[in-house]
Amino acid sequence: MNEFEIEITFPNLTTGSYAITSPSTPEYNCIAWAAGDTKVWWWPDANDQYYWPDEIARDESLGAFKSLFEKLGYQRCETSDYEEGYEKIAIYVDANNKPTHASRQLSLGNWTSKLGQIEDIEHPFYGLDSPKYGSVAVIMKRSKQY
Amino acid sequence: MNDPVLPDEIISIDDDDSTIGPDSALVKRYFEDVATHYFKPLTRQWANPPIRFFNLSAQWEQETAMLSSITEIAMHPSYQQIIGMGPSAIPLILHEMTIKPGHWFWALKSITGEDPVQSKYRGRIKEMTTAWIQWGKEQNYLP
Repeated sequence: MNEFEIEITFPNLTTGSYAITSPSTPEYNCIAWAAGDTKVWWWPDANDQYYWPDEIARDESLGAFKSLFEKLGYQRCETSDYEEGYEKIAIYVDANNKPTHASRQLSLGNWTSKLGQIEDIEHPFYGLDSPKYGSVAVIMKRSKQY
Repeated sequence: MNDPVLPDEIISIDDDDSTIGPDSALVKRYFEDVATHYFKPLTRQWANPPIRFFNLSAQWEQETAMLSSITEIAMHPSYQQIIGMGPSAIPLILHEMTIKPGHWFWALKSITGEDPVQSKYRGRIKEMTTAWIQWGKEQNYLP
């Protein structure tokens, strides 16, 4: 997908710097990417066709997504600011409070996201706030030693 | 005469294709415009499942490319219309999967009532695709 279409969907990206950082692929999604997986599409679909850890409720609620990242060692935190020794993720929800997306903080404080079935991008924290993804509902952090 | 403007959901022109000259590109665009116009009427699409599938899948791909939610991807109106095509969509979907991977698993399961993917491969697109293509061959949907 070209940059124009990305910027039309996420107009906040045009007010800061962002970069496409991978080829387009449908093999993994934003949740997998935030969790550090580039081989599997993670989603708690009712059809039971996609990956979701057995011990986490298979439902598309913010609670289930928070539980997922808690299982990966993250705990809720209040700020998106970079903290030395920690890595952070952000969970986005739509107007109905349904999870739509997750981003992961990089070591220099910028954030990285896999955009659905297309590319990974590096972007500012606020860059993906949009009708498509909604906005960040929860920020979580874990020690880099995890 | 102005260049024809093609609906994006029908034909995607590779403007970066450097293998054809500008005159050939113009002829190609006119041809695609005529083809698009011919196949646009819904009655003609319904009489021709491949064309209907092509139009619906192109729109679905375009409008769901940035989504992660499989539920949202599968509930897209074009995807639901493809499911509504019933068994006539099965060979078209399977053929599409041999060309490029995509999230056709929900549709195939909905139409066929089957799921040949082993649970250990849930979410692994390559393995899921391979399992469905193998199923398609066994069911004689694919050569």
